[in-house]
Amino acid sequence: MDTLQTLLLAFIGIVIVNNLVLTKFLGICPYLGVSGRIDMAFGMGCAVTFVVTLAGTLTWIIDHTFLIPYSLEVMRYLCFIMVIAGAVQLVEMYVRKFFPPLYESFGIFLPLITTNCAILGLCLFLNLWEIDSLIHAVVLSIGAGVGFTLAICIMAGIRENLELADVPEVMQGAPITLVTAGLLTLAFMGFAGMI
Amino acid sequence: MAEQRLQKTFTAGLWQNNPVLRLLLGMCPVLAVTAALKPALTMGLSVIFVLTCSNVVVSLMKHLLKPHLRILMFTLTISTFVTIADLYLRAFQPEMSAALGPYIPLIIVNCIIIGRAEACASKSPLMVSLVDALGMGAGFTLTLCALAAVRELLSTGKLFEITVMPSWFMPWAAMGMPVGAFVTLGLMLAGVNLITRKT
Amino acid sequence: MFAKIKYYVEQSWVLMVAAIAFGTLLAITDAAWKPRIEQNAVNRFTELAGRLLPNAIRFESATSEPLTIDIGGKSVPVDVKRGLNAAGQTVGWAFVCTGSGFADKIQLVAAVDAAFETLAGFRVLSSNETPGFGDKINITPDEGGFFQPQFVGAPVGSLTLVKTGDPQDINDRIVAISGATVSSQAVVDTFNAYLVPLRETLAAEGLLP
Repeated sequence: MDTLQTLLLAFIGIVIVNNLVLTKFLGICPYLGVSGRIDMAFGMGCAVTFVVTLAGTLTWIIDHTFLIPYSLEVMRYLCFIMVIAGAVQLVEMYVRKFFPPLYESFGIFLPLITTNCAILGLCLFLNLWEIDSLIHAVVLSIGAGVGFTLAICIMAGIRENLELADVPEVMQGAPITLVTAGLLTLAFMGFAGMI
Repeated sequence: MAEQRLQKTFTAGLWQNNPVLRLLLGMCPVLAVTAALKPALTMGLSVIFVLTCSNVVVSLMKHLLKPHLRILMFTLTISTFVTIADLYLRAFQPEMSAALGPYIPLIIVNCIIIGRAEACASKSPLMVSLVDALGMGAGFTLTLCALAAVRELLSTGKLFEITVMPSWFMPWAAMGMPVGAFVTLGLMLAGVNLITRKT
Repeated sequence: MFAKIKYYVEQSWVLMVAAIAFGTLLAITDAAWKPRIEQNAVNRFTELAGRLLPNAIRFESATSEPLTIDIGGKSVPVDVKRGLNAAGQTVGWAFVCTGSGFADKIQLVAAVDAAFETLAGFRVLSSNETPGFGDKINITPDEGGFFQPQFVGAPVGSLTLVKTGDPQDINDRIVAISGATVSSQAVVDTFNAYLVPLRETLAAEGLLP
């Protein structure tokens, strides 16, 4: 029961309180790039959730079975990025085979998941926070993906409505998106300290 | 003639193709480490180091690269140099290393570096790649420092941890928080739009 | 079969060679700088703990293996260091303790006197609290902070956080930083979690006078 509570708290913590996008600035590129339409944002969120779960779990296992016991910490970044690149390749092949329309609409952004900081960032945070059980690491990985999806979908929803608004010419595009994102982080700050 | 071209490549990185203000690449560190000038400068210099090394190495082996293994090769190169930069900071600048935390290893996934390796270094001769890396890196660092200067000044009244604002100045704590980063960068981009629209 | 192997080698030899070259490069850098990195961590601890225990000139681990104490049902290893003066006498104890703050973990260096009865204060080793609010726990007494000095001389035992009171009174009541109650509470909670169990463990090991 106690473990369940810890895991639930950890999940809520990473989805809302320590949301990687809004409090740690991770995954900003797709957050600003793919948040134009809500269906694409959701698709991107799902792809990231899948990759981050896979990558977070795998890197935790590699870290704890090879790197830490044999003091190979110097190889950590190399191993992590290789695992992530592999996982992205896997997702890319899967989506291309089974969801060709989705693959078309993602375009360049699918391979760019490799360079999504949220994924490598989570793997590094798992190590930094000294997460010591596999199940905890898995829950945090899923939570990070869900948190990313949440943030990018909220953003896409706002931007769909922003199209109807009369934005000054110089603020159109990236500037207004950034200011909106700023206000969103302010809203999410209200959750800080909840856990 | 060749010199002129190199000069052009260098200045392109500073303004015309400024990675942050024009291409909107590598936003994570831009927002995350610009609460103060010192970490921003450290981050900028680390990026210049990694970008230069990776561009040079990629340019040297551009004829040996197989198309489908290219990205793998780039990430391998980049993560090696990032690890070296990280070790260097931990050994000689422990305070900065602690302040920057995971954002140093996150240089690996900074789109600027892999983007330049792909768009420039894998096609251009050594000198051009080198100059391009320096130009892009300098453009990135300058933008980072400009943003950090505004934020540090307004959030604490200090620059490089030295108080410069008069004593009646009331610090805006919000500028040091995530919201300050987003809004300041948003306004900076709007300013750039304003300038480029006129010319 | 042979042709296939040849094909793979042709495709990937650059990658293999590069991997070996980069691996060697990393190994060399790591070997060259590792001692320095480890020394940095020790220096940082010694510097912070030395401010808390000005009489101590060096610190050494009290036990060869870190002690373990029970915090919230989990056993946590704590490397308690003995602060020694020039004559080799114990002038106090110092250790790193971790608590969860407003946004992230807070790591403190805490020190207590030789008898483990009164606190000698704390310094923040690492924290990620809100700038302008929670990060006021970082302000040292020299910089004019009122929060850190309250712990200097406070009794080892259960501390309570109060919203109002005189910070000049040194007792088990700690006055919170206004606007940063959660961060202040986190520091107090961290002390409450570590101090008493640590004293009992040290006493059980026969290390306390």
